[in-house]
Amino acid sequence: MNSFFRKLRWLAQRRDKEAELRHELQFHLDEEAEERREDGLAEDEARLAARRELGNLTVVEENTREAWGWTRLEQVVRDADYGLRQIRRNPAFFAIAIATLALGIGANTAVFSVVNAVLLRPLSYRDPDRIVTLSDFSKTGEAPTALSKQISIPDFQDWHAQSSSFEAMAYYVSREMAVIRGPEAEYARVTLVSPEFFHVFAIEPVMGRVFTTEEMKTAGSGAAMISYACWQSHFGGDPRALGQTIRAAGLRPIVAILPPGFQFPEKTDVWVSYVGPPGLRVGQNFRAVGRLKPRVSVGQAQTEMTLIAARLEQRYVDSNKGRSVAVTRMRDEMVGNVRFTLYLLLGAVSVVLLIACANTATLLLSKATARTREVAVRAALGASRQRIVRQLVTESLLLAFLAGAAGLLLAYGGSKALVALAPADLPRLAETGIDRWVLAFTLGMSMITSLLFGLVPALYASKVNLSDTLKQGATRLVSGGGMMRMRGVLVVAEIALAVVLVSGAGLLIKSFVALQNVALGFRPENVLVMRATVPAPPSVGIARTRQFFKDVLSQIGTLPGVLAAGVTMAPPGYVDSTGSYFIDHMPAQPDPAAPPVILSIVAPGTFAALGIPLKSGRDFSDSDALDRPFVAVVNEALVRKSFPNQNPLGRTIFCTFDSDQGMTIIGVVGDVRQRGPEREPMPECYMTYGQHAFNGLSLVARTTGDPNALAGTLRHLVRERSPDVPMKFMTMEAVLSENVAVPRFRTLLFAVFAGLAVWLAMVGVYGVMAYAVGQRSNEIGLRIALGASMSSVLRLILGQGLALAGLGLALGLAAAVASTRLLTGMLFRVQPNDPVVYLAVAVLLGIVALVASYVPAGRASKIDPLTAMRQE
Amino acid sequence: MSRVEASRVELLQGTLELLILRTLLAGPAHGHAIAKHIQRTSEELLQIETGSLYPALHRLEAKGWIIPAWELSNKGKRARFYRLTPLGRKQLVAERSKWETFSRAMGLILNSVDQETQ
Repeated sequence: MNSFFRKLRWLAQRRDKEAELRHELQFHLDEEAEERREDGLAEDEARLAARRELGNLTVVEENTREAWGWTRLEQVVRDADYGLRQIRRNPAFFAIAIATLALGIGANTAVFSVVNAVLLRPLSYRDPDRIVTLSDFSKTGEAPTALSKQISIPDFQDWHAQSSSFEAMAYYVSREMAVIRGPEAEYARVTLVSPEFFHVFAIEPVMGRVFTTEEMKTAGSGAAMISYACWQSHFGGDPRALGQTIRAAGLRPIVAILPPGFQFPEKTDVWVSYVGPPGLRVGQNFRAVGRLKPRVSVGQAQTEMTLIAARLEQRYVDSNKGRSVAVTRMRDEMVGNVRFTLYLLLGAVSVVLLIACANTATLLLSKATARTREVAVRAALGASRQRIVRQLVTESLLLAFLAGAAGLLLAYGGSKALVALAPADLPRLAETGIDRWVLAFTLGMSMITSLLFGLVPALYASKVNLSDTLKQGATRLVSGGGMMRMRGVLVVAEIALAVVLVSGAGLLIKSFVALQNVALGFRPENVLVMRATVPAPPSVGIARTRQFFKDVLSQIGTLPGVLAAGVTMAPPGYVDSTGSYFIDHMPAQPDPAAPPVILSIVAPGTFAALGIPLKSGRDFSDSDALDRPFVAVVNEALVRKSFPNQNPLGRTIFCTFDSDQGMTIIGVVGDVRQRGPEREPMPECYMTYGQHAFNGLSLVARTTGDPNALAGTLRHLVRERSPDVPMKFMTMEAVLSENVAVPRFRTLLFAVFAGLAVWLAMVGVYGVMAYAVGQRSNEIGLRIALGASMSSVLRLILGQGLALAGLGLALGLAAAVASTRLLTGMLFRVQPNDPVVYLAVAVLLGIVALVASYVPAGRASKIDPLTAMRQE
Repeated sequence: MSRVEASRVELLQGTLELLILRTLLAGPAHGHAIAKHIQRTSEELLQIETGSLYPALHRLEAKGWIIPAWELSNKGKRARFYRLTPLGRKQLVAERSKWETFSRAMGLILNSVDQETQ
């Protein structure tokens, strides 16, 4: 401590100390010289001898200062100060360097801020690493989907009883459903939960009480808890909300309000104790979560659950054959399908930063060339190589930190833009922001980049050959063989990296275009979709809902601007129900080999409203009612599969949806890509809502103008007649756009990064070529003087630029072919080695290189030989 | 030439500081005088490099073992005189006993009889 303050005091007396040291050494020299004089040397000789004896004065001073301490810091401060002066002296040069780097660092920070929020930050529950999901998986190796991961209550009960790895385990099912409070109804997310659900998350109500045993048992009375957000928005934070009754999957009293921030799963507003029957072992309609006991690893839990699942598989062959359980840390489960996309984007954006580094390095190399003389002088005055490198590296660090600060500003805006662009269902996206991890990332990035772009030029500059450099004239410092080669290497690397990014972007764009252009089988333009739920007890629900939509359909037909309207259980892009079908007869035993089919319930007129073409036969009509023969309409995929070269009309189809009755096929319609544009259509069987039950219906209406304009009219119409029916409006195009949000997000970002890369590479090529022309101006002048034509000079320089570009292109294409394989899973109707894309990339980069070298080449061809040679 | 280029001895690491402290025990002195004193007392066997003398002096000063003051030299010029502090005196005793132990140990080994005879 004592020495610290002494050092501090010294720091204050710095200037005095410098003078004192000089005085002290001068005194030494005087004494020494005097002694030599006494030994009989002449005055001059004595001084010289004393000086020689002392050695390099600067080094002695430097070493002595080091004994004072702080000098390392002081050197840094001095170097930084010197660096700042450099920047002030060349504002344009450093503005370009800082802007280039800031772009790279900013883009990286922005992407990282999203990665940080979505993938890295721990969940905001207590001991988040102990919270896991338990999901069903098929051992046959099918890719798991959200649906296939669901579990059944009987299985869950066995897991719960037989396992010992868990402190708590719960199942739940979450739906958006009509919630009624007083006379008003609206959609809210309601989650039905089993007893230990809140224990899994270690959540306790901020107000009210937990569910009682009575409220949780099968066929019990049930109760509800509401989210803090819902309490604020719907009850104004009034404590009297407790005890009020709401209708959410039955009439329930509100018994508790949960703490702010807890809305698992998916922004739930209301949690209701599940009091339904356990159902069948094949009734996989639930999801499960668990809290591991302390010091139990996910692996241990997985081992135990695999054993239990194997026992169940043996015991219940019919239902559990080929099925097992996957235990996954909840955070991993939540981000499973976006993880790869986000890391890919992070990889892509770091390539942009690499290019920015290469660009800055070439810039600094040109500075380093100009500074060789300064460096040589320093070296001659006794600065060690290490010292010179340290100074140059300090300057790079300064540059990188300035760029990092600017990048952070860019990232602040950039991460907001990213959040706006990203798919809305990206989990935890809203948590994106600049926190200390993001700051640390930016800092680290800045330091790494400063090494990347600064070290090579610094080492180069410090390797100056003293006598050569000092002997050379001021204008021709370095003939520049090595330096030029280094710049060439950097530019080739830049182009190669840009090629990789552009190829990736090209593939994604081509794939996205294919995805957009795929024939969906219906016309989505100007279609309004209205979801509505008629609240009613199950016994009369179907009849009331059917009547409600019948009324709406008859009314909407009279509205101006409505071309056609229909009602469907599954609007395109959404599959509500699947099953299997049989032609002509129904087997007595369930047949596992029966072909799968998508089951849809529609109203008459729906095909016309959606623009699904009727290929043969007829549409349903209002007379196809319960008391008439059952009828069905099938799609062409089903006809291809079951009626090759036959007429399906008049044949009988059996689909087990709500009845085993056979249905006569009355019509065939075109295929619709129900499972999203990237999945092939599969057999689909349409039934009419006049003859079947359904899970929930949506109105679809085709309008002449903007479909949103119809929404207001409809809302008014329904509110007037049925105030207790909640409604939700969207346009078909918005639904479709949401379906391709993830590919759009990554394609857009990739394209932006590739654009940046190309721009940076272009600047790089321009810089190198301009520099090369400057270096060779008198050689070119000589050529012109000896009779070289303008066009031959142009060719010479363009050729050099294109040679660099060609090399970069070749390397880049090789790297692209190797690395774009990563994209395979994301490509639709495009192969990762698509020749058209690579050809386009080659042409694009060729043009870029040509444009970038054309300006310097033009300048070279106009060199005045006299001026150029006089410069020598 | 009165100066004889006697074979010089490299200073062992860290011993220069001990020598400086011992020299200053006799009283304050400036850098040049310290160097000359060490050279003379060691019968010219130890040549102090100015390049390491001043850093060493400033190191000792930073440790608080010696303290400088500007005084007039015997030729009437302003010189930076160094003086031993109480801390430096204590340090000298410690360093010295360490050195004596070390040199005794070295001597014991190098002068042992049985080794010599083989």
